Amino acid sequence: MDTTGAGALIKALEDVGCEVIFGMPGGAILPAYDPLYDSKIRHVLVRHEQGAGHAAQGYAQATGRVGVCMATSGPGATNLVTPLADAYMDSVPIVAITGQVARSVIGTDAFQEADIRSITLPITKHSFQVHDPADIPRVIAEAFMLASSGRPGPVLVDLPKDVLATATTYTPPKLALPPRPVLSPVQIRNAAQLIGSSKRPVFYVGGGVIRSGAAQELRKLAERTGIPVVTTLMARGAFPDSHPLHLGMPGMHGTVPAVAALQRADLLIALGTRFDDRVTGLLPEFAPHAAVIHADIDPAEISKNRKADVGIVGDCRDVMAALSAVITRKTDLTEWWNYLGGLVTTYPLGYDWPADGMLAPQYVIERISKLAGPEAIYTAGVGQHQMWAAQYVRYERPGSFINSGGAGTMGFAVPAAMGAQTGAPDRTVWAIDGDGCFQMTNQELATCAAEGIPIKVAIINNGNLGMVRQWQTLFYEGRYSNTRLGTHQRHPDFVKLADALGCVGLRCEDQSEVDGTILEAMAVRDRPVVVDFVVGQDALVWPMVAAGTGNDEIMAARGIRPLFDEEE
Amino acid sequence: MTRHSLSLLLRNEPGALARIVVLFSSRGVDVESLSLAPAERGDLSRLDVIVDLQPGRTVVQLIKQLGRVVDVKNVVDRTHDEAIELGA
Repeated sequence: MDTTGAGALIKALEDVGCEVIFGMPGGAILPAYDPLYDSKIRHVLVRHEQGAGHAAQGYAQATGRVGVCMATSGPGATNLVTPLADAYMDSVPIVAITGQVARSVIGTDAFQEADIRSITLPITKHSFQVHDPADIPRVIAEAFMLASSGRPGPVLVDLPKDVLATATTYTPPKLALPPRPVLSPVQIRNAAQLIGSSKRPVFYVGGGVIRSGAAQELRKLAERTGIPVVTTLMARGAFPDSHPLHLGMPGMHGTVPAVAALQRADLLIALGTRFDDRVTGLLPEFAPHAAVIHADIDPAEISKNRKADVGIVGDCRDVMAALSAVITRKTDLTEWWNYLGGLVTTYPLGYDWPADGMLAPQYVIERISKLAGPEAIYTAGVGQHQMWAAQYVRYERPGSFINSGGAGTMGFAVPAAMGAQTGAPDRTVWAIDGDGCFQMTNQELATCAAEGIPIKVAIINNGNLGMVRQWQTLFYEGRYSNTRLGTHQRHPDFVKLADALGCVGLRCEDQSEVDGTILEAMAVRDRPVVVDFVVGQDALVWPMVAAGTGNDEIMAARGIRPLFDEEE
Repeated sequence: MTRHSLSLLLRNEPGALARIVVLFSSRGVDVESLSLAPAERGDLSRLDVIVDLQPGRTVVQLIKQLGRVVDVKNVVDRTHDEAIELGA
């Protein structure tokens, strides 16, 4: 088929199954937008390229497919840097397509030139700059293959403008996913032996279990063994919150039973997780009595932070299926469950209502979860509201919580919700956002309004950069340097802002109105909705392991250290 | 600091060397010497490096991280060979 580089790009994207691109045109990428005009691929015109990147991430996590974003050269491309870094940290499969200045002027500081390949070297799984239009179909197929196989991640394809404009012949790309790693039978047997002889084992489950689609296998293996499960921030939803074997989220703001399970365990069965510092706390004091089985598709993660006694390189689905096949009997974990069950009863998640009579932020999130249910998709920004969204939404299925875990990118929630809703149009999508985060990326609500993407946004408006304020409360003697945003004084007025962006704007300040407001928001199907939940500014996220301390010092609330005070 | 001598086979692709060098700098690896030359196969290059690792970082970990780079075909730890060549 005779075409141009640009025609080959769009045809190749169609052939690899791309159904939507989040992007913004500009000079260097302009040739690609011409064949896109006639393509069956949907293009969502964002208001800022960062929104395109996060939308691609939200789409990828809601659908399990590769998300695609597109931008022009120079500033268009550099605005994708944050989403690429975010996707790299959280192993999200996205392909970023950027325009580049013409080959003849690359390296001459041409208008809108930026060396985006070099800029993104440490935050992409791989990148391409295409110099021959005939290579475009192969490169697009490879980019999709690399983004989605092994440990998923972001791939950049940089396309000089003249390459897009040059005539070429289209050759359909061959899509060949590389085989999954073959498991070592010896390591599986060693793992099964450790599991069989342990008295205090725990499944430490990470985001890899969601990426590999292994939630069913996890449930089967957990039920077969009766071993308790903890799910990290990236794994919320990988195991049902309603399941009796589930102890919740471990880590800095994890539940006391989940943190205790890791600290007191004699065996960690770590699946698709990377012993991140937010989970381990002070590393030398993490799970001090535990042997470690660590299964991950990325060999570089095994023994990176904590030495594994048994390392298994493989896809979590295969690993758990193999373990299920060799583990036949349940070990007696009565004593272990007696201890953990006691903690579950004594230290449930809980919160106090603000003394000043304002709304409790946790209550708002709890009610959204109750009324929207486990079939909804929840996204979050970064900070207190994110932790409460991880704690107080009840997740029952994988892919229902989409947040920025490793990178901690403020402003993630709204564009990620836009992408998730695009990929899952029949699901209710709630962005649980902070008043600080919301002001970073809310322009994408204009995109949502114009494109008919009816996301719901709950602004947990505490008037401050809440998590930073929390640290100032706890570690800086209440010296609140530069954390007050003025959002309680209506700078801005979020209801008017929502209205101006083409959304329905609602406000809720009283407990008695919370359910009614949520239901009113859910009744709107044709436009995005923004709810300004005005909440108290002094609420703190508990439990908490202070940075730089060991997990044994977890505080269930201020001054209450259940594990530290416990008799061994 | 521990010193290691590594030998890599890289695909002859644009940016392959940059990706390795950026990995060293991102992961806090000190490069003592570095030499790139064509390998026997025309589509590959050989990169010989001597690196210093920070305390607590292992060469096994570095080799695995290098192995993740799409353009890296092979990594060998030659630290021991070097010692033999030097007669140590």
